Parts: sequence; structure tokens; C-alpha cells
Amino acid sequence: MAGVKVRINDATIHVDPGTSVIDAVFAAGHDVPYFCSQEYMSPVGACRMCLAKIGAPRKDRATGDWILDEESGEPKVFWFPNPMATCTTQVMEGMVVDTLSKEVKRAQSGMVEFTLINHPLDCPTCDKGGACELQDRAYEYGSGLSRFEFDKRHQEKHHALSELITLDRERCIHCKRCVRYFEEVPGDKVLDFIERGGHTYIGTLEDGLPSPFTGNITDICPVGALLDSTSRFRGRNWEYDHTETTSLDDPGGAALTVDARTGRIERVKAGLNPEVNKTWIDDGTRFGHEYVDAADRITMPLVRRDGELVPVSWEEAAQVVAAGLSKVDPKAIGVAIRADATLEEGVAATALARQLGTGRLDHAPRPPASVIPDGAAATMSDVATSDALFVVGDPTEEAGIVDLRIKDALKGVAPPELMAHGVPIADLRLKERMPRKAEILTVAAPYRTSLMKHAGQAHVTPAGGEAALLKALAALAAEQAEAPTEEPEGDASGASAAAWDDTVGMTREQAQALLDRLRAGSAPVMIWSGFVSADPDADEAARTLAKAVGAKVLILGPMANAYGLERIGVLPSHDRYDYASMLSGEAKALILSQLDPAQDPKVAKRLGELDLLVVHTSFPNATAALAHVVLPARTGFEKEGVTVNAEGRMLPVRPAPVEAGAAADLTGTVKRLGEALGVRMDGRSVRSARRVLRKMLNVDPAELPAAGQLLELPRRASRRARALRAVAGAEGRALVVPSMVRIEHLDRNPKLRAEHGDAALRLNPADAHAHGLTAGEIVILTVGGLPRRLRVVTSDGVPDGLWLVPALPDQPVGLYPADPSALRRARGETAEVA
Amino acid sequence: MADAVAERPKPITSRHDPRFEVTLYRYVGVEGAHTLDAYLEHGGYEAARKALASEPGQIVNTVKASGLRGRGGAGFPAGVKWSFMPPVDGRQRFIVCNADESEPGSCKDRYLMEDDPHQLIEGMLIAGWAIQATKGVLYIRGEYWHAYERLTGAIEEARARGYLGANVLDSGFAFDIVVHRGAGAYICGEETALMNSFEGLRANPRLKPPFPAQAGVYGLPSTINNVTTLASVPHIVEKGADWFSAMGTDDSKGIHHVQISGAVARPGVYEVPMGISYREIIHDLGGGPSSPAKAFIPGGTSCPLFPYDDEHLDMPMDFSAVAKAGSMLGTGAVIVIPEDQCIVDAMYNVTRFYAHESCGKCTPCREGVSTWMPQMYRKLLSGRGTPEDVDVMEDVAKNLRGTAFCPLADAAAWPIQASLQYFRNEYEHLAQHGTPLHPRKDRWLA
Amino acid sequence: MIELQTVTPFFEDKQELLEEILGRYPDYGRRSAVMPLLWEVQRAERYVSEARVAEIAAILDLHATEVKGVMSFYSTYHGEPVGRWHLQVCSTLSCKLAGADELCDHLEERLGLVPGETDAEGRFSLQKVECLGSCTTAPVLQVNDTYYERVTRGRLEELLEALARDEQPAPWRERHGDNEALGGAPMAGNAAKAPAQAADAAANDEEGGA
Repeated sequence: MAGVKVRINDATIHVDPGTSVIDAVFAAGHDVPYFCSQEYMSPVGACRMCLAKIGAPRKDRATGDWILDEESGEPKVFWFPNPMATCTTQVMEGMVVDTLSKEVKRAQSGMVEFTLINHPLDCPTCDKGGACELQDRAYEYGSGLSRFEFDKRHQEKHHALSELITLDRERCIHCKRCVRYFEEVPGDKVLDFIERGGHTYIGTLEDGLPSPFTGNITDICPVGALLDSTSRFRGRNWEYDHTETTSLDDPGGAALTVDARTGRIERVKAGLNPEVNKTWIDDGTRFGHEYVDAADRITMPLVRRDGELVPVSWEEAAQVVAAGLSKVDPKAIGVAIRADATLEEGVAATALARQLGTGRLDHAPRPPASVIPDGAAATMSDVATSDALFVVGDPTEEAGIVDLRIKDALKGVAPPELMAHGVPIADLRLKERMPRKAEILTVAAPYRTSLMKHAGQAHVTPAGGEAALLKALAALAAEQAEAPTEEPEGDASGASAAAWDDTVGMTREQAQALLDRLRAGSAPVMIWSGFVSADPDADEAARTLAKAVGAKVLILGPMANAYGLERIGVLPSHDRYDYASMLSGEAKALILSQLDPAQDPKVAKRLGELDLLVVHTSFPNATAALAHVVLPARTGFEKEGVTVNAEGRMLPVRPAPVEAGAAADLTGTVKRLGEALGVRMDGRSVRSARRVLRKMLNVDPAELPAAGQLLELPRRASRRARALRAVAGAEGRALVVPSMVRIEHLDRNPKLRAEHGDAALRLNPADAHAHGLTAGEIVILTVGGLPRRLRVVTSDGVPDGLWLVPALPDQPVGLYPADPSALRRARGETAEVA
Repeated sequence: MADAVAERPKPITSRHDPRFEVTLYRYVGVEGAHTLDAYLEHGGYEAARKALASEPGQIVNTVKASGLRGRGGAGFPAGVKWSFMPPVDGRQRFIVCNADESEPGSCKDRYLMEDDPHQLIEGMLIAGWAIQATKGVLYIRGEYWHAYERLTGAIEEARARGYLGANVLDSGFAFDIVVHRGAGAYICGEETALMNSFEGLRANPRLKPPFPAQAGVYGLPSTINNVTTLASVPHIVEKGADWFSAMGTDDSKGIHHVQISGAVARPGVYEVPMGISYREIIHDLGGGPSSPAKAFIPGGTSCPLFPYDDEHLDMPMDFSAVAKAGSMLGTGAVIVIPEDQCIVDAMYNVTRFYAHESCGKCTPCREGVSTWMPQMYRKLLSGRGTPEDVDVMEDVAKNLRGTAFCPLADAAAWPIQASLQYFRNEYEHLAQHGTPLHPRKDRWLA
Repeated sequence: MIELQTVTPFFEDKQELLEEILGRYPDYGRRSAVMPLLWEVQRAERYVSEARVAEIAAILDLHATEVKGVMSFYSTYHGEPVGRWHLQVCSTLSCKLAGADELCDHLEERLGLVPGETDAEGRFSLQKVECLGSCTTAPVLQVNDTYYERVTRGRLEELLEALARDEQPAPWRERHGDNEALGGAPMAGNAAKAPAQAADAAANDEEGGA
């Protein structure tokens, strides 16, 4: 049998060479305690809990044969003189590991005793109780009694590391998971040990914890030292219902565990999906759940009577809708859903539009270009194992976990093989402070992004200039492909060199270096997102370039299910029936799900003139304020369904037991409308929607494998809409940029808002000064027609003349006109603009 | 052949042996001996010249044959350590001098660096040549300011006159040294912690394997040696391996430096041959105990103490002999403990040292050594201890043996165990009566 | 956020020194400079403030937290100012056996300080330190960078008086053992042995050697 033979107590198994002994122990069905080891991070051997007695045979130096035991004739086992940490010991052929003898038990209980001597007796009031690794290990491996009778170490107990994470320093058992996490996963070294010996504690000198991935430390802390402030003191772990679901926050498709109690979501933790997010999620996803329970949640259908919206039953509301629809020319009815709706909701919307006889069906936000790659699509694993990455955009903000998978690639260590017990506990290939291969990563974006710090080549390129850059690269690649054996020399190179325009954002040499790297790589990957998808020319050039260099492609759409909804065709029957046209006065009746276009006053005016406006929403907003009928919508935590992430992977969405009154997702809405219309439409239930999906996609959404299911690429490219926006010629252009933190929920997520601050208008200090703006002040800036309330933030990373505004579902990524003279200070005064 | 064997000269194992000459310490204490001119005057850098004209492998073999074992406490054969370096592959290689002398009782390296810095520089140069390392790192504890000034001055002199730099002694070999000061952490004497400290990280020890020869300073092939180990090298090259191995025992060859302190008449550093008896060290060199002694530490406070009796006094200063007797040769720092010194108080002092110096990385040391042990000693010494407490101390010390990440916990626990083995009566006296068998007395001289 | 604008950077007018220190280490080992940079600040300002920590972090392209993590690991970098004369009393075994405990007690009383404190005028501060590596000339007191060895009661008083006058005496360096006093004649062979040993050697030679 292949592999290394190891005997753990009475069990003999074979494991791959390089496996740690602790993983062999677990694979054999035995166990040892551990604290400092953590899946996906370097093993360090610090906690000393995993000690075992280890022995191995030795070879005679002269003969090369095993030294045999005289009595048994078997290779003699030479026991190491001291117990060894199994997490940092590699298996050897013939190794024998004893985890059960008295000697080992004594070592284990000794280490438990040491771990507990300074650990406070906080269990009754500690959030970690019931899910605490120290409680569990102390119970399993401790002696039950402590001989320590002195005063325990006293340290700060409610230290706010940030608005989102509370640190209790007394509880810390110094496993170093959190410190290692920051260096090894996001690469932001914002937490460290301070002092030494028994005085050591965890701390930071930064202002808060400046990293968008801080929350993961609350998952991995084995004790109650690092706690999620949004859930602190909100419940006991054994009271929570744990729901395994998928994040609908962004197109990454991260696995989540949602903890709910008495009808409220108290906490969101990362779920495990080795193929997608491993065991990490970003802070926007983790801490942005408080809104679900906001006081102004709409929980009943509302119908406008005498100018007021009054609560009614679903039946009544559906009747009003049906009646209203019957009076409108079908071709003038529009149905639009948000791009984070589930596929089942997409089926429901499609069925509804078909039933009503209209081709005006769309999902929004939807970029002008398709978000589905043609040809070779990259998975997260492809990204993580790539040796040549070209990123155009800001994936950190568009889908946080993509940033972390890119950082995996920089380490050059492929994801581990799963073992019998799951992800290996101690992967010996991972070391602290591994050198990173920055040279494999090139990033181009219209402003300085955090990912650029980690890239070997980084370019701040002109906003709106993605097409020019990608076209130039594609052309250069094509030119070199045509004449592969000819060295460009003399006039030939002179001609193409002259043709290269540095204003695209990089020099010819840099472009050449990038192309060489992509072509030389054995697994090149291109990642792009909103800035490219906003311009069909840029998208086309990107696809051409990818093909030319043989790169797999990952496209990040604007919201969670952009890929899926495009894939199943929640699209207008014709470009002129798209969402933009629905808002431009061509529709007479609209059914909008989780969209709020009335933020734009011009659109609001037109919506006010509709014969029927039906708004399916979780919260009151500008559009609901104009509606004839408001239907209560479930949030992404309350739905049953499936979503498709940017990889094209179908992932399950499961409802947490949230008390949301009569809220329904679109399938429930379509069921009610169907009843009112007297028809049974597809998508009237999750089950009926799944029948459609099964046929369409050849995948059973009800029987997905644990890691989700990659869809086959569509046979035909989906239809693309015309460009929605033109680049402004006016001074002071606004670039709407992706935001990991969902701005539309910010006001209802108080802790996240306290940490993140209000939505920011970012511009460079010189620009701010020129327009008389000071950092911190609140202004109202009309961007592409939408008044945006923003806090001024100055940053050197923003090019001159460019103003950055975070995206909303109703204002997706791209360049918009914005007139600085139209900027108002928040109190309503007209700003004196220099 | 038999005749040759019979005529092999007896090894030199005593200061009284007329064949023994003080070599490394010859110029320690001599005003002005630290300058390059002074060093050259008595043959300085001739050994380097000789080494640079030979094959690096030859130098490694010579040092192997000499039997030189590390003088920093671990006693690993230096030549063997040098041979662990991988073949030259274009990556930078380092020879690191561990001058972080912090083992309580030890001061031999300091005088050598202050008064005869070129000797060490020459040793590093030859070692660099032997292992084909063009960069030397001299990690010196921060408190040794005077030694630091002497060393940097000597290095500047050497650089200016071609003994260091791009082309040492016109040999084509480039070699230079960077001196890096520590900042007060005993753990930096542990070679992997030293490397982390040098790299600007917190000075926690590293996992081994990989060993420094595979992944050392900045992850590059490195060898770390103690000051005296390196300072021995020029003499071995000059006088030959046989000269060195003529001194000492079968197991422990060459020159050693004994640092005697505590209750002796003549504390000081003495250069001696290996194999010298503790009796000769304490009585002859040290002038005998200044007051009746009851115990002595044989090699620094990390080494369990011995009772002051004939059996232990007659023991030779030899790695295996001391190990067999239940302790370690360590750095050769001998501390004589007088009869009227409460052993519990003395051990508390030592325990407090390790408590303060624990790096905090691993649980047993951070909690057991750095927190619990000192608290138990304080309880006992304050008169509130019980016999059960003594049992707990013994048991906790046992739990600290072999369980920690690095040997610091063993260095703290093993001596405690020895003190309980030989002087349990003093612990029990405190536990039963609440007062020490030997009350505290004023030891400060007028 | 540390407002560096209100504090003149320490190394702003010390570019040559900064270059020299950074130049000691290869580019990939730039981080090694953190310790010497910390020490320059510690020596000049008697402590390393958070602003200086941030400055050093910026120079080395590290997070301030990383620099703080390193700084706080060691005993000789301080987050609060030490006195003009920072008295570090060696307290480990050899010095204890020579009266270090009593010496420290005396200093506490004499200066009105406990270990870890600086006096109100910022003149004296006291710290108990571990073995200074001068065990054969115990007890030992380190004042700033200078060792004062064999600090007997009488000699301590003269030292303190000098320091109170803002005069730092030259180091008290002694050599014992093979070299009884500094400035001894160069040694060669048996003549180098201490007189007592030479006599012993002579006696042993008569008896036939050891």
C-alpha cells in the first residue's frame, strides 16, 4: 500500500508523506487535544497539548537495514526521550505513536493544568461557553482538579480592539492563532503579542484593526478572548439554531453558519467550504446582519388607501395587484428583481413575466457585459493555485474571499487534500511568515487598492480606461502570437513600440512583462469585475486577451447571484425592454423586488405616474413610499433556494429561523399572485422552481454536494444590453466603486457603521483642498442623478480629479457624471465651491 | 604500533601540568592588547592567512579532528556542525557568533571580546572560510556596551587594513561582519531565537528541523557558534588539531574557561584544560570556599547543583562525566553556595530569573515557569507554605521536563528537582516551621 | 491615529545615521534594523514613545503593532522615560550571593524609588535586571551603558554622589582570575599563572606532576 505506514496505538494506517503525526492520529480514529493548530494555518507547537509518545525504527548506518528487535525480529522501535508535539512532527515509515498510555495522559493533564492556571473562571458569563475548545479539552483531558491557588494574572477584560471585536485579555491562552491568522491569511499584520513570558498579551497599535477580514479571529479563537461584538451577551451557544447557508452578500458564495435565537439572527460565522472560502468570510458579510432585525422591517403587505399605506392580508394585496395588472397593456408591465435573488426567485420572476405576457423582465444591477466567462472558467481553487494572476479591478471589495484566495496563490502552496477527518489540522507545508511570490500578481485598478500592496506589479489606470488598456494588451499579445519566432527588431518593433500609448496605465515594458508572465505561467488566471463589465469594449478585449494568453477567467458580478440569474435568462426579451427602460417611462406598471430606483428624483417622478407600482421590499424606502402595493420581502438570511457564485457554482441558501412576520420571497409572492390571478405558475414554490432548474441546468438543487456544484458553461453566450452610462466630460468625475460593506444596510447595522463610518466620498487631499472640502464633513453629492450622502475622506491613493463613491444596488460600479458645483453640505446649505 | 600507543602522551587535564599554557586568555587584562597592531605583533591573522591558503574542507576536518565542542553550553562538536552546511549554491551563507552570553554565572566571553576582539574576528573569518560564508553576524547582548565598542573598533581597523572586506588578505575571499546588539533577553542565547531576534522579530525559538544549516538567518544556510568556540579556531589552525586534542579527556577536548563565583576566595575566569577536576577549580584556582560550602553549580544556573562533597568535587570537567552525575557541563560557570545560604531562597532567585526570561511562546514555560513556580517559592519563603506545597512543586517541575518548546523550561525545572533531591530538608523546614533553616544574612561587603 | 505632523520625526535630521544602520543589513533583511533604530531613540530620549514606534514602522514598511511587539519583548527598551541615570541592579544568583539584594534594598531607600520607577526630577530610575555577565566581580550595577563592578557599600556611595553631580565616573572594570588587574604584563606560559598557582605548580612539579 502506498504512503507512509504509521501505527497509532492499535491502529495501523497509511498516510501521505509529509503528513503531520497529529493528522495521522485523527485519521486513525484517535485524538489528541490541541489549541494552537488551526486548519489552513501554520502549525507551531506552542500550546504543547498535542504531546504524544513517539517512536520510530532506525536504519543501521552501515547496512541500510532496519535495526531489528532481538526478541520479536521486527524493526526495533526507538522511543524519543521526551513526549513530542504531534502537530510539528512529520510521519516516518514505521513510526509508532502512543496517545493512550499513562505517561501521555499525565502530560496532557499537566498541560491542561498549566493552561488553566491563569485562565479566569468566566464560564458562567462568557460568550464562548458551550462552544469553547478549552472547556471541552479540559473536560476530556484534564484531571478535574486544579492545584493552583494563587491570584491569577489580571488584564483588561473588555478591550475594544475595534467596534466589532472585543478582547478579553485574561481569557487568552496565547495560542497565537489570531496573530498568525493576520500574517498568513489577509497579510495585514495588525495584531501581535506584546511583552513576554507570563506578561504576554495581545494588542495592536493601529487605530482599530485596519483589515477587512478581522472577524475570522472570533471564529478561530479557541476561548472567549476574541468575541464578535454584534453578538456579545446575546445568547448561549447551546440556545442557538445553527443554519448552514451561503452568503448572498457578494458573488463569492462563501459558506456561512447563521446563529439565531428566538427569531433573531444573533451572529454570523464562517462556514466551511474547502472549494470556495475555506473557513473565512469578510467583515461586511460577518458583521452586517443586524439590519435583519431593524425596527422598521416591513412584515405585512401594505396597500395604499387614501394616500396612506395600510397593512392588509396577502390575499387582499394580491387581489389589488391582480386587479391593477388587468388594467394595463401587458407589454407595458415590467418585472425586475435584484441580482442577489435566489435562482428560484429568478424562475418565479420569469414565470410571472411570461404569465403576464411581457418581455420586460430583468435583474439589476446588471452590467452591460456578461458576467459568464466563455471557454475556460476559473474556480477559486484555480485562483489559489495560479502562478500568474492578472487582476483588473478591486476584488477585495467586490467579493472578499477572492482576495484571500489570491493571497493563497502568493504562498505557492496548493490546497490540502482532505483526509478522513476533513481538512488537515496541521499542514506542515505552511510555515509562519512564508515568503510570498508577489511577482505572480499584477493588479490594475483606477485607484490604489489594498491588494496592490501584495502585488509585484500594480498600476493605477485611468478610470474608464479599462477598454483602452485591455485592447492594447490584447493587440500586443495578438501581434506577438502572429509572429512567434520573429524577434521584434528594428523597424518592426519600432512601429509597435510607437503604437503603444503609456497613458493606458502601463508602459510597453510593463505590458510585455505581464504578457510574458501570463504566457509562461502554467495556470494563468484573469480576474475582472465591475469596471470592466461596465464597458462592453473592455469586456470583449479582456476575453480576447484571456484567450490569447490561455488564462482561465473569473468575472465578479455586481451581486451574489448575477451569474445565476444571467445563466437562467432572467433577461428582457429585447434590449429595449431592460430595467433602465422600465424606469424611463416606457412601462406603466412595475413589479420591483428589493430595488429602490426612486432614490433618483427624476426616476421617482416617473414612478409616481405609474398606473401600478408594486414594491417587494424588506424595508421602507423611496420607492416603497410611491408604491400602490408593498409586499414584505425576506432577506437573504430567510430564504430557501440556491444561488450561483462567480465560479458558476450552485450553492444552497437555507433559511435561518427568523421572525419576519408575513415576509415572503418572490416564490411566495408569485404563489399569492397566482392565486389571485387564478393560475399556477412555475416558481410558485421552491419545489416547482427547482423542477424548472433541474431541467434547465442538469443539476438537482435539492441534492447538492457539500461543496456545491459547478454548472456547465452555457452553450451560447447570453445577450448583452447596451451600455448604460457614458463617461462624463464634466470636471470632477465620480467613480462608483465596489464596497465590501453593503452601504444600503449601513444605517441599520449600527456596529458595522460605527467601525466603517458613513459611506465615504474619497478624493485626494489636493483635490479636497481645491474644492474647499475638509475630511470628515458630510456632503450631499448628486452622482448620476442620485443624491448621495457621503462623508469626505482624503486619501493619497485616489488620482487627481477622481471622486470615489461606494456602490449601491441601485447605483452599481462605473463612471458617472457628477458636478462638484452641485455638491451641498449636509445641512442643506449650498457649498461655496472654489 | 604498540609502542606508539604506549607512548601516546598523557592528556593535559590540570592547570598544574607544565605543558598547559594559557592561550585564548593570554592577553585578557592587558592594556592596549585589543588593537590591531598589538594583535599583529604577536602573530595575529597568521592563522587566517594559513587557512585561506587551504581548502575549506580541510579546515572543517581540522576542527573536527581537534574535538572542539561548542562552548555555549550544548557542547555540540563544532566541526560536525560546520559540515552540516549544504553545498554552496549561490545563496548567501552566514557564520553567526552567539555573543549573547546571559547564562547566570557566565562572563568568559565578555572579557575575550573586550580585551582581545581580533582573536574572535579572526576566528569568525576562518570559520567563514571553512563553511564558505561571506557574511558574519556577531549577535552581542545589548548590555555588553564596552565589548561592543571594542569589537566595532576592531572591525573597523580590520576593514581598513584588509583583514575584512571584499578581498581579505588578497586571497579573493570576501568576508565582513555585522555586529548586532541584543536588548536584554536571555532567550536570545538560544540559536533559533537569536536568529529571529536578529531578523527583527520577537525572539521566540523556532522549530527544528529545519536546522540553521538548512534554513537559518533570513532562511539561508547558517552556522551559529559561541564566542569561545570561534576564538579557539585560530589557535587550532595555527597549532594543529593535535595540540588541541592533547588537552582534555576522550570525550571533551581542548581548552575550557571556568568562571568561578559565589562564596570563593578568588572569583574569576580561569583558562583550564578540559578534564580538570572541580576540586582543582574551586580549591586551587578559586582559592577555596570563603566560608563552608554546601553545594556548587557546575556549569551555570541551568545545570542542576551538586552537593559539595568529595564525589562531586573529584568529578572532571567533562561533558559525559557531568552528565552521568546528573547535571551538565554547560558554560563552565561554577557557583559555590555557602552553607549559610538558604537553598530555597537561592533556588527562588534562579527560578525568578527563568520566569523573567521566559519568552512566553509555550504553555508550560509561560504558565509554569513564568507564573506558578515563583509564586510557589514566594509562598514557601513567606512562611505560609505546607508540605503538600513542596510535593506540588516537585510534581510541577516534573511536568515541565521535556514538555516545553525549548529547553528553557528544563533549565528552570531540572535544577529545582536537584535542589529537592539534595536539600529537601530545607524545603521541608520552611514548610513545617515557616522559617528557613538558614535565615537571610547580609552579604553585601562594606 | 498617531499624529506624526505634530512631532518632528526623530530621524529627520539624522539621515546619515539612518542610512548607516539600514546599510548594515541586506534589502531582504531590512527588518533587522528595528532593534538598532529602537535603541537610538531609547538612548537619545530615554524611552520610545508611540510616535517613535510609528516612525520606525514607517521607515521599515511595517505595521506599528509589529514594532511594538518587538520592542516590548526586551528589557532594555522602555515605554516610559527612564532617568538621566538609569540604575540597573544585577539580581541573579552570583550577585545575590555577593549582596545584590541588600544593595537593591539600600538603593530603594536611598533614592525613594521602587524598581521600575523614575524619580520626579527624572534624574534617577531603578530597575532590577538579570545576570549582567560579570559574575566574578559581583555585585554589579549598570548605569546607562556602563558597568560598575564590585560595588561595595563604600563604593556605591561615591558613585551615587558623582551621579548626583551629573558626573558619570569611568567604568569600574576589574579582571580576576588569570589576570589579577588590568594592565598586567603580557602573559607567557607558566609565568602567567597567578602567584598561588605558580607556587602550587612548583610544589606539584616537585611531587612529580598532576
